[in-house]
This record gives sequence, structure tokens and C-alpha cells, in this order.
Amino acid sequence: MILKTDKLKYKYKNGKTIDFPDVSLDCGEKVLINGISGSGKTTFLNLIAGAIKIQDGEIELAVNKYSTMSSSDLDRVRADHIGYVFQTLNLIPFLSVLENIALGVKFSKSRTLNVGNIDQEAKRLVESLGLDRNVLNSPVNNLSIGQQQRVAVARALLGKPNLILADEPTSALDVESTKRFLKELVQTFDPSSQAILMVSHDLSLAPYFDTVIDFSKNNV
Amino acid sequence: MFKLLFKSIRSRLLPVLLVILTLMASMVLLLSIERIQQATEEGFNQSISGVDAIVGPRSSSLEVVLYTVFHLGRPTNNITMQTVDDVRKRDDIDWLVPIALGDSHKGFRVIATESSYFEHVKYAGGKHLSMSDGRGFQEISEAVIGFDVAKKLNYKVGSSVHITHGSDDAIGKKHDDFSFKVSGVLNKTGTPIDQAVFVDLKGYELIHIGWQSGKKVFGLDRLDIPSISREELTPKTVTAAFVGLKSQLTLFAFAEDLRGYSKEAISAVIPGVALSELWSIVGMVDKGFELLSWIIIVISLISMITLIISSIENRKREMTIYRANGATPAYLAGLVVLEAVFIGFSAIIGAIIFVTIITHLASSQLNVVLGITPEFEWVSLEEVKVFGIILFAGVLSSLIPAAMVFKKSLHQSLS
Repeated sequence: MILKTDKLKYKYKNGKTIDFPDVSLDCGEKVLINGISGSGKTTFLNLIAGAIKIQDGEIELAVNKYSTMSSSDLDRVRADHIGYVFQTLNLIPFLSVLENIALGVKFSKSRTLNVGNIDQEAKRLVESLGLDRNVLNSPVNNLSIGQQQRVAVARALLGKPNLILADEPTSALDVESTKRFLKELVQTFDPSSQAILMVSHDLSLAPYFDTVIDFSKNNV
Repeated sequence: MFKLLFKSIRSRLLPVLLVILTLMASMVLLLSIERIQQATEEGFNQSISGVDAIVGPRSSSLEVVLYTVFHLGRPTNNITMQTVDDVRKRDDIDWLVPIALGDSHKGFRVIATESSYFEHVKYAGGKHLSMSDGRGFQEISEAVIGFDVAKKLNYKVGSSVHITHGSDDAIGKKHDDFSFKVSGVLNKTGTPIDQAVFVDLKGYELIHIGWQSGKKVFGLDRLDIPSISREELTPKTVTAAFVGLKSQLTLFAFAEDLRGYSKEAISAVIPGVALSELWSIVGMVDKGFELLSWIIIVISLISMITLIISSIENRKREMTIYRANGATPAYLAGLVVLEAVFIGFSAIIGAIIFVTIITHLASSQLNVVLGITPEFEWVSLEEVKVFGIILFAGVLSSLIPAAMVFKKSLHQSLS
């Protein structure tokens, strides 16, 4: 088991409380969280990422129980076990593609050890994600949005973190690019040690996932 | 961390460079003022040594020191040779050397004195004057020149020197009917001595025979110079006299005693006391500049913090990506502090280079204007302290934006 949430609740500053459904992910599992705006998708993702301290319930990620952990412990868990893909603006403009990808293991010793040779692994990942290996030394601004998202996925996958969290990564892509992006993501991740948890309001992405959890009934 | 820092700074090069320049300029201002003031003070203090008192006409003691030692300004009055002889006869006097000023040679001051000047007058805390070539004057037609005079006019032992009456080279003012021959060239002292031409007092008196009220009435060609006795060439007046006492304990009593000298209004000026008067006046202006420089440094540090704070807002995405990849808040705060250290350190390096250039330029200017050649250290201990204070203040103030970064929750930027 990679991720397990148990009776997770979150109370917002406006006093409203949300009860999240229990979610569990095993190795190789791909889960899509779907829901309208304001249904708590991002809050759920922030809780899993350790960006928000849990108030009630439990999250267990690769045997780490969040309820007993300090902020610095959560930073370490995030560095070691989570690869994060943002909606847009995933890359640092003054770093090259390779340097952006290498950031994925910069703050984790265990992920660095998993990689071995960063240059070679980065090449393998970008090629597997449909990019030319020559892009590695290019400035990120030379890439299209779709290419940038694939570089972000390469960073998230580098060093084989257990969980890939993706927050609406296809929202800025057209239909064809979205299909290609998801196909390559699913092909590239390692099902023997990794799982994918993606948030999206677009239900048409469901065929690429094993499970779809609908957050629409939650109303924050 | 350093690689990320330098790449990040490179992406914001212009604003960072401007802040470095601002900070550097304020440090250059502070240190230049401090260095030039200290070097000038040191140069002035080193210019005269071994002279316990300067006996001159009663006037401002600072004025007497400035024109007798530094050749700045003009003497307004003279003292009679009778007075000089009276002082010389005193029991507390070890030695006395009269000097007469007023003439010049190609812009260099002429000092008419006795040959014992080179024995008694010292510089830089007791160093004796020495000849790089030749010897002191023994004849009334001989002259000794300072190091800079020899260098600039390309004079050697045996060169002829025609003296100009007064300090300018106006036509008709030249003592062109008598020339002095260079008998010796002094070694470099880094004091106004380097820019002086020394002649024998009797020779000086000789060239003024036939001059009245600053104008030549008749030439020396009318006279049979060898037949003029040495006694006849003893000047009636001199500008001042440098005095060495047998015991420095009697210095203030000597000065007080001369104040009561009845035949003429004279005073004994103690060079060290007169110079400290000068530094107390200069020091007040200097303190004002120093305060101003510190204010500018504070403003520069504020501008550095403003830059860092505003850049944090612009670097929100960069920081979020680091955090999402596992960077701790302490790491990001460290990046901010390190940036302040980098800015401060770069400004310090730049300031050292610029201050060194400025002080070397100032050194040659001080040599031209004041005749002193101050020596500057590459970086003094005092300056290292100033740099340390500025760097510490920079790091301390960078803790404000660092704390802002530290406190910022990850979810605020993720969402």
C-alpha cells in the first residue's frame, strides 16, 4: 500500500467542514479525483502533499503517518515519496531543462540514490515522454506548454517517488496534447513502485485511470 | 544551493547589480574620506620631526606651521636676526636653524637656511635627511634640491639654479645675475622637503642686494662679489627659526618665556600642538562626512532589503517549486540570507578595488598640493571592522525577508 487516507476531515476558516472519502492506492494504481470547483480537490491534494497539517483523520504514505509528524518531517516525506506536477508554470525559467528535472531529487537523498546517474535517467525519461534528448540543455522558455508539462512529469518521476500528485496538469493543453500527455505518463511511470493521483474537473480523462473518485458531492 | 543562488541572481542581474553598486558607492565614500583624512594627517605629522619649536612672528600658530613646514600660504612678517641670535644664546637651546622663505624656482619653494638644517631637521618620526647624490652646501653659491625637484626638472649635481623673486615667474622678477650650483640631491622623504630648493642664507642675502620693495634697483654685476665679507651677507631678517631644546621638559616654559620677549613680538610654535588644532577643525568636517556616509550605507541596505522582498514576490513560483520538491522553509530562508551575503560581499570587493584606485589618485594629488606622499594600506584592520559591520547589518536585515519566506505556508502558493 502506497497511500491510505482514513476519515480525513478538514474545517475551513469560514467554519464549513468537509469529510473526504477514504482513498487508498497500491503500487501501479492510477486514481483520478474529479469534481466541480470548490469541491475540495485541491485541499485534498494539499493534505496529501503535506502542505496543510491534518486536523482530523489520518494519512499514511509509505508507512509514514502524517498525524504524528512535524512540518520538517512532512517536508522530508514530500521530498522522498512525492513527485508533484502543477497545473501550469511548472518550471524555473532560469534553469535548463536538465536542471529543472534534477530538482526532483535535489532535496532527497533516497531519490538521488535511486537515480544513480541523473543525466542518463533524465535522458531516458524525456525520451520516454516523447521529447528529444537534445532539449535537456535548452532553456525552458524554448519549449511549448505541452513540452513543459512533460518536463514537469519527468521531474516528478525522477528517483521513483512512490506517489505522483498531479493538479489539473492538462488544463492548459488541447485535446490531442492531453491524450498524448496522459498516454506517455501512464507508459513512463513504474507500476512496480509508483502510483498516480491526479485531480481534474475533466471526466473525459477517466479511461486512463483505474479508479475515479467523485468529489462533487462535497460542497465547501 | 550556491548554483541555484547564482543562477537566480543572474536572472535578475540588473537590479542586483544596481543594489551592489549603490552599496559599493556608499562604502567607497565612507572609506575614501576616512583613508584620505588619515593619510593626510599621517603625512602632515611625518613632515617634521626633531623640531621642538618654530620661532616666528607672533601670529596664528597654525599659519606659522603651514608656511614654514608645508610651504602653504605666505609669511606675513619676519623676525630680525638679532632676535634669532638672542634666542640662540639661551641656555635651554640645543640647536637653532633660521629659515628665510619667499623666493621660488620654477614653482618650487626656495628655503634659505644654514647647512646644519640637514643635520637637525628630521622627518617620519626621527629619520635623518640624506643625500642620494652629492653633499650639503658649503659655499654661498651652492644649493641642495629635494627629490621631486631633481626628478621633475631633471637636475643633477652641478646643474644651475636661477631663483625667482617671490613665488611666480613674472618677467623681471628673476635673480638672473646670480646662479646657484646644485651640490646635492636629497633622498625621497614623502614630505614637502622633496619639493624644496635649499640655498645658503648668505647666498640668499647676496642675490637680494640691489633689490628694494620687490624690485631690482641694480644688478650684481656692479659689485665685486669676492670682496664682500661674510658678515655683510648676514641677513637682517629671516622668516622663522627651527629650534631644538636640550630638554623637552622645558618646552612650554620656553614658549611662555618667548611670549614675553620685549624687543619684538615673537612666539614659539609647537608643531604637534598646531597640527592637532588643524585636525580638530578638519575632524569636525570629517565627522559630518562620516555620518553622512553611514546614512547612505543604511539607505543602501534598505534598498537591498527592498530588492530582496520585491524579488520574493516575483519569485513566488520559483519558491513554490522548490518547496513542492521537498525544500524546507529553512533552505529557502538560507537562500535569501545568502543572497544578502553575496550582495554585501560583492559590494565590499568592489569598494576595496575602487577605494584603492581613488586613494592612489588622491595620493598623487596630495603630493602635488601638499607635498606629502602618504602610504595607503591595501585593507586596514579598521576597514575590515567597517566591512564586518556592514556585512553583519546586511545579513541581519535580510532576516526580515528570510522570515517572510520561512513563514509562508506551502499551501498558500500551491493553491
